[in-house]
Amino acid sequence: MKRIKAMLHGPMGALLQKELLETWRDRRALWMAICFSLLFPVMLAGGSIFMLKKHTEESTRLALLGADFAPLLADRLRSDSLQVDALEEGEPQTLLAGDYDLVLEVSEGFAGDYRNFEAPPLYLYIDSSASSSGRAERHLQERLGALQQLVVQQRVTARGLAPQLLAPWRLEVRDVSTPSRRGAMLLAAVPGLLILTLFVASLATSVDTSAGERERLSLETLLMQPLPGWQVVVAKTLAVASIGWVGALLAIAALVSLMPLMPLAELGIQQATTTAGVVTMGLLLLPLALLVAVVQILLALRSQSFKDAQTQLSILQVAPVMLLMVLDVSRVELEGFHWQLVPLVGQQQWLKTLLIGEPVPVLSLLAGSCVTLLLVAVAVRIGAGALRRENLLSAT
Amino acid sequence: MIEVQSISKHFGAQQVLRDLTFHAADGQITALLGANGAGKTSCLRIITGLLRADSGTVRVGKIDVAAQPLAVRRQLGVVGDREGLYERLTVKEYLTLFARMQGLTGERLRQSLDEVRGALELEDLWLRRTRGFSQGERMKVSLARALVHRPQHLILDEPTRGLDVLAARLLRRTLLRLRNEGTAILFSSHVMSEVLELSDRVLVMAEGRVVGAGGPQALMREAHCDNLEDAFVSLAYGSQREQVEGEPA
Repeated sequence: MKRIKAMLHGPMGALLQKELLETWRDRRALWMAICFSLLFPVMLAGGSIFMLKKHTEESTRLALLGADFAPLLADRLRSDSLQVDALEEGEPQTLLAGDYDLVLEVSEGFAGDYRNFEAPPLYLYIDSSASSSGRAERHLQERLGALQQLVVQQRVTARGLAPQLLAPWRLEVRDVSTPSRRGAMLLAAVPGLLILTLFVASLATSVDTSAGERERLSLETLLMQPLPGWQVVVAKTLAVASIGWVGALLAIAALVSLMPLMPLAELGIQQATTTAGVVTMGLLLLPLALLVAVVQILLALRSQSFKDAQTQLSILQVAPVMLLMVLDVSRVELEGFHWQLVPLVGQQQWLKTLLIGEPVPVLSLLAGSCVTLLLVAVAVRIGAGALRRENLLSAT
Repeated sequence: MIEVQSISKHFGAQQVLRDLTFHAADGQITALLGANGAGKTSCLRIITGLLRADSGTVRVGKIDVAAQPLAVRRQLGVVGDREGLYERLTVKEYLTLFARMQGLTGERLRQSLDEVRGALELEDLWLRRTRGFSQGERMKVSLARALVHRPQHLILDEPTRGLDVLAARLLRRTLLRLRNEGTAILFSSHVMSEVLELSDRVLVMAEGRVVGAGGPQALMREAHCDNLEDAFVSLAYGSQREQVEGEPA
């Protein structure tokens, strides 16, 4: 501890102070970090409101043509989620282009055929190009199916048969998901987006402090100071990581602040994130922020120019999200201890767990964070070597 | 003293320094005079430890650069071919931080800052960020950074490039004062008037080696010329011509 304190008061401290001042005075980088950090929580809040709107608008509007030929049908079909309008006439295509999701036409001889057990036809008109047609059709089919079963039961009962003969079992669907699990469904994208924030928030700074300094030749001035290369890499990493980490903290704060405004309860989701969980989220992202920063600096130092560095890092920021998506899609079981040691995967899993209000296993959190920090140390060593590369200097 | 002993350097197939040997004594201003591509910047970068020589040794104040690069950098003040400023720092912050990187603290730090501020007339710039500074102002700040830790050895790469008359005068005055205080100064240039006015000793470089060395007057005598430019052309390109002519057909 004494050694670290002495180091921070000496040349290394001056170097770190220089890097921090440069980083936090870069308005462009700061603006970019703030914008992205606030953008996704706001989008998430907007998304949940949109979902609720969609949820409440899920009632189907049905136009029933020829309702007079089957006087009870409209009443039997009508429910909270199925609005039935009995119309005397109308063109199905025009009605579907208007306010109706479905048009059901009753044939003229329906009543007579029904009485004679001749299975009269019902014509269902749908517009399969409309986004709501599939859901509306399923909805009506369910209602008609239930009504059909009721009629069959009445008919067999009238003939002295037990209706159970036609129904060997009864299926009842019971949803066992907890509100916190349903919350996880909605908030599934949050861990990936928080990790992405680390990459995006620190991108401009990492390019500026490495490729930018090289292009402006101030890196050369820095390398002529009596400081070992690893200290230069560490100072730059800490400065870059600070902006990435603060960006992620800002995103977490915005997310937590916006949660009360989101209609989570209306969607059947209970907000389960605790204060301790929020603090843990911030802390567990710190080692990852360092790793992201040092990897970005390494790549930018290897690039040919400032623009080249920007391009390479833009690709890099998509990589982790792609990786996490691939792992999600491929249904790999990521909850095992060994997966939690893998940087990005571990952090994603812990964030997921914390978002649904469940505790993170301390051992895996510590072990995974240590592995991430170990990789940071390796990357710093590689970075110190990169600073000795002669082609790092401009015109030699 | 800066001692360069038989250094050679290749960049790929291109040899930029060939068995280069010279020294820059304390209390003297030594000029490295050469055309573009003669190897001046590479030589200075090897002395600062930014580049490694393929062979040979460099000593700064008797310390081997290859063995102890950090110790050497504490004894060196360097003004590179660009100023290396940080535009988001004020002059005061910039100089304070670089002085602290050189290990200065407390009263010594404060005294050094006061000294360079006065000597290089930085009072008006002191609390301004360096963004938008003129070339002359940038050079003054860069020189102040190189001098803030009072180095025994000063290296400058084409220091007067782009400077206006007043800034160039201030630079010359500063270098002469430092020379008189015993600092070993080594600078590269291809501006004859500057070399003539400032240097006690001139090293003419061509194709990565020293082809002439001595005081400006002595070089002119050696080349049988009455001005330094003719002497430089004769020494630098004359030797090249002789070399080419000496090769078998």
